[in-house]
Amino acid sequence: MRALVIDDSRAMRRIVTGILTGFGYEVRDAEHGRAALDVLDEGWLPDLATIDWNMPVMDGLQFVSVVRANPAWRAMTMMMVTSESEHTQIVRALAAGAHEYVIKPFTADAIRDKLALLGLLPQEVAL
Amino acid sequence: MTTTDTGERRRASDTRPVITDLIDEATVESIAAEAWVALVGEDEVLVPLPGDLPADILSSWVDVVGPWTGSVVLTTGRATAEELSRALLREHAPEVLDDEDVADAFGEIANVVGGNVKAALPGPSALSLPQVGNAPLVRNQADVCRLDVLWRGEPVAISVQGALPPLPGSTPTRKNEVS
Amino acid sequence: MSLTATSFDWVRDLVRKESAIVLQPGKEYLVEARLLPIARQMGLTDVTKFVESVRVRPDADSTRKIVEALTTNETSWFRDGDPFTALTSTVLPSLLAARGANERLQIWSAASSSGQEPYTIAMLLDDALPNAASRVSITATDLSREMVQRTRAGRFSQLEVNRGLPAPMLVRHFTRAGNEWEVSANLRRMVNASECNLSAPLPRMGPFDVVYLRNVLIYFDLPTKQSILRRVRDLMRPDGWLFLGAAETTLGVDDSWERVVIGRSSAYRPLKGA
Repeated sequence: MRALVIDDSRAMRRIVTGILTGFGYEVRDAEHGRAALDVLDEGWLPDLATIDWNMPVMDGLQFVSVVRANPAWRAMTMMMVTSESEHTQIVRALAAGAHEYVIKPFTADAIRDKLALLGLLPQEVAL
Repeated sequence: MTTTDTGERRRASDTRPVITDLIDEATVESIAAEAWVALVGEDEVLVPLPGDLPADILSSWVDVVGPWTGSVVLTTGRATAEELSRALLREHAPEVLDDEDVADAFGEIANVVGGNVKAALPGPSALSLPQVGNAPLVRNQADVCRLDVLWRGEPVAISVQGALPPLPGSTPTRKNEVS
Repeated sequence: MSLTATSFDWVRDLVRKESAIVLQPGKEYLVEARLLPIARQMGLTDVTKFVESVRVRPDADSTRKIVEALTTNETSWFRDGDPFTALTSTVLPSLLAARGANERLQIWSAASSSGQEPYTIAMLLDDALPNAASRVSITATDLSREMVQRTRAGRFSQLEVNRGLPAPMLVRHFTRAGNEWEVSANLRRMVNASECNLSAPLPRMGPFDVVYLRNVLIYFDLPTKQSILRRVRDLMRPDGWLFLGAAETTLGVDDSWERVVIGRSSAYRPLKGA
């Protein structure tokens, strides 16, 4: 399975990439929404995108809206991973088309649980 | 057209909130504790004790703009910021951490703490991207909620501080009076 | 003193057997960090002393604490989702057909920990039934007073709501309260929490239409398992449904149950005349 990790913090990209690689994902990353769209435009379509909210150039919410407007990208599951954590912000992201929402700070277990809910987790996972 | 100044309008604008009316140290402490346990490591505790910051310090912060406007600032020794960045990255850390790696990781911790502080405040508010360097000045001593902790024995200060100077006529020593 | 290899291997075997989770070599520090608070509660200063005392003389309470400390930071919502899918797909329609419109359904979450399981059930029923609060009553019990109080409060940390709670359900049923999330008053009214020790005679409760008794039996020896199942059965309606943990079964323990496969999970129902 493939995942696209979108976050302007390279530390966060390394951490999320490390977690997903541990679950058997092939991972690419992007430092903002625009760079992520470039990856999709290349034809590299992931099963999962993890998306930060506050980023330069194009933020996560704009990215979600653009992806939602393109039927060719409908199969991609979009999971926000962000420190934006108000009730209203989560509602906005879901309304824009995000499927799931992980609040920073998170643990690897939290990512695993969400992937299990989404049916995007391989069976055997070591602690 | 004339209006009669009953004083209500002025009183309404005088009620601009200061941070201590909106959040307490215990909430900031629980936000920071969760961030440390989840991001830095599951046995990383913050001990709520003050310590002397070294001469060479680094701050990272995010700005919150909304009904309350200000910054959420982390300040610690440069060496501690580096250690914190390494702990955050764990096995994903490169051999050598350059300044940009430290700025990025330390900034991300401010983003996580700041985002959760913002969510505990009345909204709607916007969050800036993290910045790293010399902390913004404290403009109003009464509009600060500061938490001093030790992490691995090293002092870390977490300050939620307003961006606006005190209102004319407000008592600047308000905080000292209660303590 | 740091953890000895013997102690680590014993903990590793225990956790693998009870949870199917494998602790990789090099995770000694994790075992120490997670078990130290439990060792201290028992008045011991180091983890090896604690592990050795349990290894020499195992007891259900300590082994359960060890496994829980190492397998979860926080209890997950929808933990092993299948028994919850079964509730809405099969169990609820069957009960609604069998009961009168004014009969209240009674559900028991028998090891409810900090409340994730009873509130997961409450959310599902609230989404499935137009008047859930008046149709359903959920009894949540746990051995620990602290856990019962936490369930009553219905407040969860940011890290806890991150654990397997679908975001649409979070926004539908929770509000933010400071740095925590609080479950809606409507759901809190559906859940009654109290202390209860499953290995002792049970208080008068029920009769229950559905019982969730998950990841409890694994910690007890065979005679205790049998007496717990017997006591639970006495509090159930004859056409009730029992859900056990994924690694648990009544087979070979108590033959007065019928196993029913629902999708990817199993439920157990009292055998008539048994």
